[in-house]
Amino acid sequence: MNIAIASVGGQGGLTLSRVLAVAAVLDGHSVRTGETLGMAQRFGSVVSYVRVGGRVLSPVFSEGEADFLLGLEIIEAVRALRLLRRGGLAIVSDALKPPVSASLKRESYDRAELLKYMSDRAKLLVVPAQDLAAQAGNPRAANMVVLGAFGRLQTVLTEGSIRRAISEVIHPRWLEGSLKAFELGAEFCVRSGFARARSD
Amino acid sequence: MRNVLKAPEGERLALMGNEAIARGLVEAGVSVVTGYPGTPSSEVLMTLHEFGAGGDIYVEWAVNERVAFEIAYGASIGGARAAVTMKAPGASVALDPLISSAYGGVEGGLMVLVADDPGPHTTQTEQDDRWLGFLAKLPVLSPSSPQEAKDLTVASFELSEAVKLPVILRTTTRVNHAVGDVVLGPLRPPKRVVLFRKDVPRFVRAGMAWNLERHRWLNRQLSTVEEVFEKVSAVRNTAEGSGKACVVTEGAAYNYVAEAVSELGAEVKIVKLALLFPPPRRFLSEVLEDCERVLVVEELDPYVETLVRSLLSELGRGVPVYGKTASGMALEGELNTRIVREAIASALLGSAAARRSATAEPSRSIGVPPRPPPMCPGCPHRNTYVALLLGMARAGYGRDEVPVFGDIGCYALGAQPPLEAIWTEHSMGASISMAMGLKVAGYDKPVVAVIGDSTFFHAGIQPLIEVAHKQIDVLVVIVDNSVVAMTGHQSTPAWPELESGRKARPMSIESVVKAIGVDRVEVVDPYDLDEAIEAFARLLREPGVRVLISRHPCALMEARVKGVPYRYRVIEDRCVGCLACVRVTGCPALYFDGQRVRIAEEDCLGCGLCARFCPYKAIEVIRSG
Repeated sequence: MNIAIASVGGQGGLTLSRVLAVAAVLDGHSVRTGETLGMAQRFGSVVSYVRVGGRVLSPVFSEGEADFLLGLEIIEAVRALRLLRRGGLAIVSDALKPPVSASLKRESYDRAELLKYMSDRAKLLVVPAQDLAAQAGNPRAANMVVLGAFGRLQTVLTEGSIRRAISEVIHPRWLEGSLKAFELGAEFCVRSGFARARSD
Repeated sequence: MRNVLKAPEGERLALMGNEAIARGLVEAGVSVVTGYPGTPSSEVLMTLHEFGAGGDIYVEWAVNERVAFEIAYGASIGGARAAVTMKAPGASVALDPLISSAYGGVEGGLMVLVADDPGPHTTQTEQDDRWLGFLAKLPVLSPSSPQEAKDLTVASFELSEAVKLPVILRTTTRVNHAVGDVVLGPLRPPKRVVLFRKDVPRFVRAGMAWNLERHRWLNRQLSTVEEVFEKVSAVRNTAEGSGKACVVTEGAAYNYVAEAVSELGAEVKIVKLALLFPPPRRFLSEVLEDCERVLVVEELDPYVETLVRSLLSELGRGVPVYGKTASGMALEGELNTRIVREAIASALLGSAAARRSATAEPSRSIGVPPRPPPMCPGCPHRNTYVALLLGMARAGYGRDEVPVFGDIGCYALGAQPPLEAIWTEHSMGASISMAMGLKVAGYDKPVVAVIGDSTFFHAGIQPLIEVAHKQIDVLVVIVDNSVVAMTGHQSTPAWPELESGRKARPMSIESVVKAIGVDRVEVVDPYDLDEAIEAFARLLREPGVRVLISRHPCALMEARVKGVPYRYRVIEDRCVGCLACVRVTGCPALYFDGQRVRIAEEDCLGCGLCARFCPYKAIEVIRSG
């Protein structure tokens, strides 16, 4: 399973990637992630690659090789769309953060138009991640909302391992809000008809 | 997070390459670890700090890489195990003592982590430090994964002590910043100073006869490295698969080769080198014996290709060797599995380009604006640049008349629109000396050098001595945000307490500058913009060496410590969408929605610069929460 995570630096894309890696190891899989780190990525485009499987080696993959695209921001999700394979699934937060380069040119971006562009090309689940994160009591946990939706739409990682991974990676101070955000993401996914409720 | 330094042997964890190296250092019983922050190497020391290693052993950032190396070398000649970490340009900073260390050699193991950055992702050049082996005459090891990074860290100490030479662990971003599953090894107590035995011919490089003798010693030591490495290292030079078609590779490129060969289902022998210098000649001669075609897959320079070509030529074996000449194998940038798959198919298998995966978006028919990293909301460097540009105007200069020499740090992001404030960003400390060079060559308008606090401590002090001594007209702006911000908020020499908990004597930039002999020193807070503009205007008109310290803490650090009591918002019916706020500040919390500007409230840190420049008073302060 290949997962591309597209985000704006500071939104928690790297945390999301690490939670997936820890969950993969807890479930006994081999894992690789590839990303570039450093404070200087703040507010810049960030793509993380996560690979889970029997024997994965490369920390990155190419166009058309992602089974899932997790987008924490709409423009970044469109930028990374070419990574998604035909028939792959995009799970995208409805957050829209146009960059300075666009505003300087008086360019504006329409949420509905960008989302239609994606839904014309891929299976798309749009998640009101910021609202649900705020509802969960941690406005910065939009990444965990998207993770919650993703958790219900894949079969490789167990929900228990993802939860345990969240507990290992997230600072105790933010943990409760993050787990709640994860829960709300999963519920939203079921409500939207994309996934069935778990029997357990 | 699990404490990766204390977790028991046998446990399997998801670790980033640099975390695995930190674990490897503890498994090896290191007692001194130092370095200078630099992406992608910084997380080794950060991991040791985060999980409390600083209590048991010496783990501290040093003022620059050469000082860091010399500290580690001093420890190792006394028998302690020591390590030093740096990014690629840092290895160039440390090169003088590094090369001399090969002549004196070590007693305790000494590992030098040099993290290269093909891509490049975060580095000014794509320098290929595998050549350091030939230049410095030191063994070079190369891991392909986080697991190997840990295991080769441990092996580098065994090798270093056996051959009595520092060992370079050369990594790339795709190893340092890759997360992989890593099985932990046993821990051992730190190996501290045993005894420093006085040995003048060995450790004093002032005697030329001694140096000649030590050079002979060094070459003898190098001749034993391959054999010793095979004995002490858990990660070997390996050959897998069989066939007359061979791929020789190392480091991150191995992963792409192994996956490509498996996807192609081809009969190809994969030769992976873990020892890059001295060249593992015996191993290569054996494994390449029955190869009829050889493809070398490596990032950046044709380093392994040069070794393989020269060895096969010496052996009189006229087999075709493909490397940088093969399709897609550029001298620049990174490889990936797809590029390598196509190169193997065309060079070794003579088949057409292999399949590509069908993407959801075969071609793009929508505009996606670029998003290069900007300065953060609230960044004090933004205020400094705005004040500098306005101060230039007030002093009667056009912004194209006053060259601004930049330096390395977050403030280099001031090169981006709309500020476009700096004209150069070259190497650590170069802002001051390059500004001096232009001035002594006859440039008749003011010149400005902008350098960060940590960069000033790292490599700016000597250039300031140079301009002060020669009395050159340069305005030096030290942008002091009290932290090494760009690489992840590490300590500077101005901190009274370090990450390890160690108490320190904080260095005062003003005192250093004054002691150098600069008489004209001012300090401003760039958040007090009027005062800062006035200071720039005043100092730009004056002759001589002037230093302006523009001091305000990094906004992210300040927000973390003090919280964000105020934010700003746009009053919708007042904003006319003139974009003055965006054009002055370039703040990423601002965006244009088609009619007016909005502020992403969750990103605003409340500096108020946008409100100040709004001609319509359409931005108001709000209490956050």
